[in-house]
Parts: sequence; C-alpha cells; structure tokens
Amino acid sequence: MGEPARVPRSWSTGWPRPRLGLRGRFIAFVSAVVIAFGAVLTAFAVKVQNERLRHELEERSKLLTVVAAANATDAMALLEIGELRQLFLEIRQQENVVDVVAFDEDGRILTDGTLKNPRRHQLVAEGVRRHTASSDALLLEFRGAVVEVTKPVILGARRLGGVTLSYSLTGLAEDQSAFTRRTMLVGAVFASLSLLATALLAAAVTRPLREVTAATRALSRGEAAPPLPVRTTDEVGELAAAFNEMTARLRATTVSRDELDLILDTMGECLVVTGVDGTIRRVNKAACELAGVAEEALVGSNCRRLFRAPAGSQSLLHAATADAMAHGLETALQTAAGEAVPVLVSVAPLATPGEQPRGYVIVAADLSERLRVERQKDEFVTMVHHEVRAPLTAVRGAIGLLSGGVAGQLPDSAKELVAIAQRNAERMERLVADILTARKLDAGRMDFQFLEVEPMALVRQAAEACAAYAGKYGVHIVIEGDLGETRVRVDPDRLIQVLNNVLANAVRFSPPGGTVNLHSSRTGSTVRIAVTDAGPGIPESFRDRVFEKFARADDGSWRHRSGTGLGMSISKAIMEELGGAISFESAVGAGTTFFVDLPAAN
Amino acid sequence: MARGRWSPAVLVVVAAELACSGGGSGPAPPAPAGARPAGVLTIGALSLSPGREHEVVQPFADYLAARLGEVGIGHGRVVVVESVHGMVEELAAGRVDLYIDSPFPVAFAAEHGSGLKVLLRRWKHGAESYRSLIFARADSGIETLADLRGRMIAFGEPFSTTGYLLPKTALVAAGLQVAGYQDPAAAVPPDRVGYVFSNDAESTVFWVLKGKVSAGAGNEDYFAEMTGERIDELRIVARTPSLPRNLVGARRGLDPAVEAAIVDVLLAMEDDEKGRAVLAAYEETARFDRLPQGEEEALAEVAGLLQFVAEDLGG
Repeated sequence: MGEPARVPRSWSTGWPRPRLGLRGRFIAFVSAVVIAFGAVLTAFAVKVQNERLRHELEERSKLLTVVAAANATDAMALLEIGELRQLFLEIRQQENVVDVVAFDEDGRILTDGTLKNPRRHQLVAEGVRRHTASSDALLLEFRGAVVEVTKPVILGARRLGGVTLSYSLTGLAEDQSAFTRRTMLVGAVFASLSLLATALLAAAVTRPLREVTAATRALSRGEAAPPLPVRTTDEVGELAAAFNEMTARLRATTVSRDELDLILDTMGECLVVTGVDGTIRRVNKAACELAGVAEEALVGSNCRRLFRAPAGSQSLLHAATADAMAHGLETALQTAAGEAVPVLVSVAPLATPGEQPRGYVIVAADLSERLRVERQKDEFVTMVHHEVRAPLTAVRGAIGLLSGGVAGQLPDSAKELVAIAQRNAERMERLVADILTARKLDAGRMDFQFLEVEPMALVRQAAEACAAYAGKYGVHIVIEGDLGETRVRVDPDRLIQVLNNVLANAVRFSPPGGTVNLHSSRTGSTVRIAVTDAGPGIPESFRDRVFEKFARADDGSWRHRSGTGLGMSISKAIMEELGGAISFESAVGAGTTFFVDLPAAN
Repeated sequence: MARGRWSPAVLVVVAAELACSGGGSGPAPPAPAGARPAGVLTIGALSLSPGREHEVVQPFADYLAARLGEVGIGHGRVVVVESVHGMVEELAAGRVDLYIDSPFPVAFAAEHGSGLKVLLRRWKHGAESYRSLIFARADSGIETLADLRGRMIAFGEPFSTTGYLLPKTALVAAGLQVAGYQDPAAAVPPDRVGYVFSNDAESTVFWVLKGKVSAGAGNEDYFAEMTGERIDELRIVARTPSLPRNLVGARRGLDPAVEAAIVDVLLAMEDDEKGRAVLAAYEETARFDRLPQGEEEALAEVAGLLQFVAEDLGG
C-alpha cells in the first residue's frame, strides 16, 4: 500500500479541507453558474407565469360576474328569488367560484344560490353598497386567495342592486405550483444535462493536463515519457506540443536514471554519495569493488569507515566547505580485507548555491597503479643515477684523461676515436641529467631558488653559454631588444636552463652559417624572450607533441637534429614552476620562434 | 313550505319498475321456504319528476316488501303519476297498493272513488303536522284577513299545501272571495282578495317585504328562517289549522293481512337501525305513527277543508 494521501487541513477548523482539482473546480464553477442562471430564469419565468395566470383569473372572474349580473337582471327586477337561486346555483358550480350573492338596492342579500341561504336579508359591506349605488363599473377586492368582484345590476335607470362573486385564486396557486414543479423539473433536467456536459467538457479539457501530469511524473521517476498526442491546435494542443518538445530536448541533453546508473557503474573512479552526517546513501560499482564490500553493506554506513581523514583534516567531509569543493585530497580507502588503498579524492557538497548542503559527493581515484608506476620510475631513476651516471662519469673522466695526453700523445687516428667517445659520453651524460631533471620535476622534488633579477643579464649569459655550441654548427646568436631595468622573479639557473634548451634547439635546426635571433621585449607586465631560427620549421604533425617527453618527429631529416627528447618537456615544466609559459610559432621552411614569457616583477 | 307535487293535468302513468308482471299488484300464494315470494307491493307517488321520485321511493318500497314475505310479498315497486286523478285511477284499478302524500291529495283521492283507506301518519321532514301563516308588512295596516280585501296576496306554488291550499281555505273559510292574477301589480276589486303565485317561498317573503304584494302565505315552520333579521318588519295576520304532514293510504280491496303487516312494518321502522336509515333517505321521514284522533276523523277534518280547494285539485 502506498503512503496515505496528505490532505491539507483548514486553518480555521483543522478538519481536512476537500481538495478540488482543476476538473472539480471547473465543474463546480460551471455548475454554480448554471444553477444560478437556472434559478434566476425559473424565478423570472414563475413571476411572468404568475402575472399571466393572475391576469387570466381576474379576467375570468370579471367575465363570470358580468355574465351572472346580466342573467340575474330580470329575476332581480321581478324578485324571482327561485329563478335567481337556480341561476346562482349553476354559477356556484363553476370552477373556482367560492361564493356568489345577489343583493338588492339596499344592499340586502337576496340569495346565495343555496336553499338554506343563511345570509338572507343581511347587508353586504358598506363599500360594496356605496359602489353599487353610484357606479356601474366592476369593483375588485382581494381577500387572501380570493378575489371578490362586484357588478352593479342596473335595469334602465333603476338600480336593482348587485352581484358579488368570490373567485378563488387557489387555482392560481395550484397552477403556480404545477408550473413551478414543471419549471423546476425542466431546470433539474437542464442542470443535470449541463453537469454532464460540464463533466465531459472538464474531462476533455483536463485530459491533456492529466496526460502531462502523468508524463511529468514519469520523467520525475526517471522513466521515459511517451510523446503526448497533439489533438488540437489551440492552447491545449500547444501545451502538448511544447511538452513533447521539452521532453525531446531533455532526452537529448540529459540522461535517464538508468543511463545515469549505467554511467556511474562504468566509472573507473569510486563514487560515494553521503548525507550531511556522512551516512552513505549511494555508491557505484567501482567503490564496491575497490572496498570489497557489497553495496547493501556500504549504504547506511558512515563514510568515515571507508575513507581515512586526509592529512590536516578531521575527516574527509571536513575538507570540503559548505560551498566549495575539495580536490586532490590524498587519503586511503579502507578495504574489507584491511588494506588501505591510496586514493585521490574530490569532495563536493550536494547543494545549490546559497543552500545548506544536503550531502556530499565523493569521487575517489585509485592511486595504487599510479604510485606503483611512480615507484618504478623512481627505481629507474635511482638505477640510472647509480648504475649509469657514476660509471659514465668515470668513463668521461678517463676519456678526458686520454684526450689530455695523460696516457701519452695519441696518434691522430686515436685522437679522432677518443673525440667520438668523448662526444657520446657527454651526450649520454646530458641524457642522464635530463632524465634526472625530468623525474625531479614530475615528482615535485626540484628545488627552485627564486630571486628577483634582470632577465637581460640571464639572456646574455645564456647566449654566451651557447656561443661555443653554436659555433660548432656555424651559427651566430644575435641578441636583440632590451628590457632595460625590467626585473623578473625567477630561479636564474632554471631560466638559463630553459633558454639554453631553446637556444640549443635553434642552433641545431639552423642551417650552417645561419643566425639565431634572441629577442627580448616587454608588453605590459609580460616579459617575452623570443628565440628565432631559420630552420626547416616544425612539421605540422609534430607540433602537438613538441612538449611531450621523448617526443621525436617522424621526419628523418628532422629527427637526427633532435636532442634527448626531454629538453622541451623539461623547459615547459620549469616555466610552469616559474609562473611563466613557453610556446612557439613555426612555419615549415620558414623557421621557428619559441617564446619564453614571464611576469615582470616591477 | 310543502314540496308535495300534484297536478290536475291529464293522467300520465309512469311505471318505473317494469320488471314485475302486469295486471295489478297484490299478494301471491306463500312461497316455499327460502324462496322469495312472488307478490308485489306497489307504492304510488305523485310528481312531475318521475325519475327523481322513483329514486327516492324505491329503497323504501324495497325495505317494506322485504319484510312482507310472510304475507306473500317479495318485491316492491314504485308507480309515479303526474296528477291526482291519475292516482285515483291507479288506486281504483288496484295497480297501486299504497299512496303516501299530503293530506289534500290523499283526501281528494279518497273522496273521488278510489276507496282509499288512511292507515297511518308520516312524519315527513321530521314534522308530524304543518300549517300556514298569512303575513303582511307590519306597517301595512293589515291586521285581519278582512283587511286583505282589494289587495293582492302572494302564494307559493299552485300545488303546495301550506303555500297555497291551506291559506286559500283560510281566506275562503273567512268569507273572502279570492281571485287569481298573473300580475302582482294588477288592480284588485275592493270585494275581492287578489292572489298571485310567486312559485317560491323566498320570493313570497321578499315580495311582501319590498311591497310588491300586500301579503303573503307560507309554511309556519320556515317563516322565521325566511324572514331572518327582518321578521319584525312583518306582521302575522292569520294562522291556518294544522294538518297531518303526510298520510298513508291503502287501496280498497287490499288483503287485510297485508294491510296489517304493512302497518306493523311501518310502525316498527323507527326501532330498527336499517329502518331509520331508510326513513332518513325517504325525505327525512322521522317515523310513521297512528293519527291521534283516529284515521277516519283525521280524514274527515281534511275533507272538510277540501271543499274550498277541490277545484284546484281538479275536482
């Protein structure tokens, strides 16, 4: 059974207030209008009918009185009471006649049409007597539900008296009642038909809304909402069309819950969603697998049992503030087997801006493999440092001694061989040095000694340091531009290392006799040192990989000029540490320019 | 006023009950036990409305016949005639066994050869007897019957005992000569008393009150009701002798046993619930009883007055 529907309570009574949907309100409103209209119409019709009936009955009573008076004239003139009684007996038997009397000129009743005639000789009302004594018109008097009509009876110049006929309006009441019943019956039928029509209309009007509601609820449940039928071209049809358009866009721009579950479960990273108190509400497959715990066991437990607190924080969730994420937190995930798996964690509060977080989203990446690789790298570097560099230093020293003639003057043929050995030893030494430097940079173990210096001095030092190397290639380094007293805050040795790398590359790729321009400039707060050669330019296919480690172009003619393949990677890492950047522009066959940019310190 | 109706018109016999065998009525031989006797008792009535009269009298005839089984009567029949002469013929021919009516027509029939024998008195409309009043406006100066000479008096209907016959006998018995007129305003010779028929007791009263005639006559029993609050405007000039309200006459030759049985049944009707109901339906008859002065004496008294109005009865 579902949860009982919540019924809003009345503010005044506390009792449940009935909820009327749009259809109910529509029906209620139209019904009220129809009933009110019907009531007004009925009242109006009854009023008109009453007036008509009253007028009709009055006319009938007047006509009957006039006829009675005319027929009674002779009998009254001759005082033929028996004849008069018989006449009035017949009148009494007319519908709605309550009473009828004939009275003489003195106002004394002659007969009322009955044998008993209990009012015989009695006087009629004073007003009636006066009227019959002075008028020949009808006198109408209303007494409750009876109208009394008096007609003076005159024969020639002789006033014989009069006839008073009492006519019941009960018939009027009965007619009114019957008419009212008929009208109300018709009204009830009309109201019922109207209610039915209203209900059908309301159902037709609200049907699209119900369909939209059902589709919206399906959407809210993460289900696919079927397209709504667009039956009309009016506002309702527009609503259905707009909803279809919205769901189509939603389908195009969002994922369903199933898709989201699928995505989360295929994530390589662990995903943990907690409440504000750290209670785990949801985990993905990767988290379960890494922790070695089933989802059912994890959900409901606190994330403190899963993640250790990062260094410097009381707990993982403390690392994330209410409105900001915490990235790159290194901690450990506790597995069911008791192992602490190193993870890199991001914690983000689950909240819209300005609201208190409803929970937290924790994304953890397993660092085990990465650390293993790092360890292997370190082991490799250590190995290179100890097993290659030291022997290489010894080899290079020995070759230097040979070249210096410690072992005697070498024949020219031997000198040439020793020179080759020395160059390769130096090359290997540079390679080892670059490898060690790159590893230090990767591991973040490179020391930087920041000083505020004038970059021009460093530019000149770099140019001088490469002069000999350039000379071997027949290339001239030309210093251009002047930074004046501009200063930068850098590690001078590392910046010179970068400039040397760039200059060495330029020299190697410059044609013999060519020139490498070393141009310094300042634009705003940026100091730029541009190194331009007139070489073949960097192939299009290689430009994206220029700063990658051990990157070499596929072009054979270009490859032999490359160095260790680590120089540009090291230069880029150093420039990032110095707060600057390195970039280049190149055109095939037109040379290359590398830009070393630094922020000015003054 | 009396409502008994008779006319000196030509005899018209209306046989309202045609189921019975013709040739007169009378007792038949006693029927076997359990079977309805074949004898028929015929009651005669005088009226210009035979249908209505039959409707009124037949239940009475049925009641009476149903109680005469021991004398061979099993059926009751009603014969309505329009004139007293017709009734005389029916009685004389033995086609009517009982004739119940006002004293004058009963006496007329007895005096004119029907051989009618008075048996009982009938209290019609609850009254044992009735008489007439002759009245005039109190301010008319008329105090005695003699003052009516040269004046016009209004009677009721021509066949009414109290409305016409009785007051006329009073006038004639007082030595006045009466003359009939059509117009109430007609000039009446000083030695005569002119009379007109108002044909309605109420009309008679109004005619006197409004001076249309000098005097009027009517049943004493209804006088107060008819005059109402204006009774003081009238003076009673004379009262006639009282007559029995109705007489029950039997034809000559009726079986004495039957006659005796009829008398017994009629006298006992007021003691029986069904009998009282039949009496009430029969023109509000209170009872039948014997005439205090005796039947012969009573008939003689009526016959003494009959001489003055015999011509009005067709005599």
